[in-house]
Parts: sequence; C-alpha cells; structure tokens
Amino acid sequence: MIKGLSILLFFQCLGELIRSYTQVALPGPVIGMLLLFAALCLRGGVAKSLQNASQSLIGLMTLLFVPATTGLFFLSAQIMSQWLAIAVSLVAGTVLSLIFNALLMKRLVKMHE
Amino acid sequence: MSDLLSPSSAWYNDFIYSPLFAISLTLICFQLSQQLYLRSQRFALLHPTIVCAAVIALLIKLLGISYQQYFESSYILTLLLGPTTVALAIPLYQNAKYIRQLFAPIAITLVFGASFAALSAVGLAYAMGASNETLLSLSTKSLTTPIAMNVSELIGGHTALAAGGVMVTAVTGLCFGPLILRWLRIHDDRIWGFCLGITAHGTATVLAFERNSKAGAFASLALCLTGSFSAIVIPIVVSCLK
Repeated sequence: MIKGLSILLFFQCLGELIRSYTQVALPGPVIGMLLLFAALCLRGGVAKSLQNASQSLIGLMTLLFVPATTGLFFLSAQIMSQWLAIAVSLVAGTVLSLIFNALLMKRLVKMHE
Repeated sequence: MSDLLSPSSAWYNDFIYSPLFAISLTLICFQLSQQLYLRSQRFALLHPTIVCAAVIALLIKLLGISYQQYFESSYILTLLLGPTTVALAIPLYQNAKYIRQLFAPIAITLVFGASFAALSAVGLAYAMGASNETLLSLSTKSLTTPIAMNVSELIGGHTALAAGGVMVTAVTGLCFGPLILRWLRIHDDRIWGFCLGITAHGTATVLAFERNSKAGAFASLALCLTGSFSAIVIPIVVSCLK
C-alpha cells in the first residue's frame, strides 16, 4: 500500500515537474497518469501494491471531492445570477450528449461488425 | 444564531478552525450521507457527495466558519485527488484490451462524444448569456472530478463551479441515462457502458458495474479516455481562443 502510494506520488511529482519545466498546457497529475500508463504498458503488468493503492484511492473519490463541492453553496452573487443558464446547460447538455453518443456508437459498432 | 454557537473563547476557535475538526466533520457527514443514499435505494438526487456538501455548508455557516477556512483546513482531502488522478492509469491499463477489439468505434465516439459533451453545455450556456468564467468552468463537466478540477484551474475556470458542474452532470446521468439508453434500444453492454462513461464519468461507472462487469469495464475505459483526451484538448482549444 505504502509502496503503491509512493509510486503514484512519484509519477505525480514527475508530471508536475514536466509541467513546470515545459509549460505544457496539461495538469501535472494528468501527465503523471499518462506516464504511469506508458510505464505499465512497457512493464506488462500491475504490481499488487500499486493495484491496492489505486483501488483504495479511487474508492475514496466521492469523499475526496466533498470540500470542493461544498464551494457550490458559497458561489459569488455574480455566478449565482447565472444559475438558470448553468442548470439548463448542464442537464440538457448531458441528455443531448447521451443521445448523440448512443446513436453514434450504435451505428459505428454495426459498421465495424 | 451564529453568535449562540460560537463563543469567542480562544480554545474553541482554535478547535473549530483546526484540520482535525474539518476532517472529522467531513468524514462523519459523509458516512451519514452514504447511509441515507443506501437506505433510499440509491436515489440519484441523494448522491452522498451532494448531501454531504450541503450539510457541511449549513454547519459551517452556523458555526461561523468561512468556506475558505474550511477548504484550507480540509485541504489534505483535496490534495489526495492528485494521486487519485494518477491512479486512473491502472483501470485504463486493465481495460485497454477492449480498445483493440473495437478500435474504430471507440476512437470515433471518444473524439466526437467528448467534444459534443463539452460543446453542448458551453453552447447552451453561451446562448443563455453566461459569463466567460462560467463557460470555462462548464467545459469540464464530463470529466471525472479530479481531472475536471485540475483542468479548470489551469484554464482559469472556477474550481468549485467546475466540481459542482461535474456533480450535476453525474446526477443527470444517473437519473436519465438508463431511461434514454432503453428508449434508444441500446442493449449492447459495451455501448451502454461506454456512452454512460463518456457523459457521466465516475457515478456512471458505478452504475455500469451494477449492470454487469463488461458494461463496467467499458464505462471505466470511457472515463479514463475522456479524462485524458479532454485534458489535452480543452486547454489547447482555450489557449487558441484567448
């Protein structure tokens, strides 16, 4: 577990360093994720400790974003005045996306097989 | 009310502003919210993150703690989102074998689906007169929360609004996803999981795993791919527009 967590943190550090060094427009942790993915492909397997650490963290995700989500109740008046536009675009956008994706992928899978 | 609950003794202030208190409060509220969610048979609007956030917002208001203060005291939880993002490489690696099986449909749906998810929300909000900061915060709505927050911070969006937008998207996906897919007669588990994963990320992945492991694997794959694809594309598009 500690070993797995260290590997994750190592790749995050690597990602952050690459980001600040190259000024690439990508979040450090995302660069870390892509590098770890590449490393796993090269190595051809996932170590048990890494598997455990990642499963624990992913399982905790709903808890981890509570502090950020709480901010939703303390938005500035300037953002709150746009609540209708925000709500409609999120809900309608999601429904439209689901329909679009499902129809597109259904057609593509049919062509593929 | 807040005067009643916050006597001005020094030890009391030290206590309620401490990380110990903020984290205890978050963990206890979260467990109660999770109980409520399970008791309600996973009713989407009672998603534990939302209920927990609402209860905490109310409690810190009553105790006279500012949001900034709470966020800083509980920062270790937010900090762990970093390694959690890196950890997504593992499900991505484990489900990558499915990409080879169905390469063209997955790649094309990913590119168009992830773009459509961001553009539809931004377009609708733009048409309804939302500000630039709001538009930027909404562009990450279909990414998994840790990546969405990272990207939003990078492009100048509002982190709390971005996190909230992800949650609203997740709840919408939970409420309507299965209904829409049934209405469109999608019975293929691979399409079912992948489409939910592209649009409604983490919560959709949990839902897809409840259907079966194949749908779950495709939802998880979609979550990781959408996160990586959009994390690369959104900042580039935004920097070109600026």
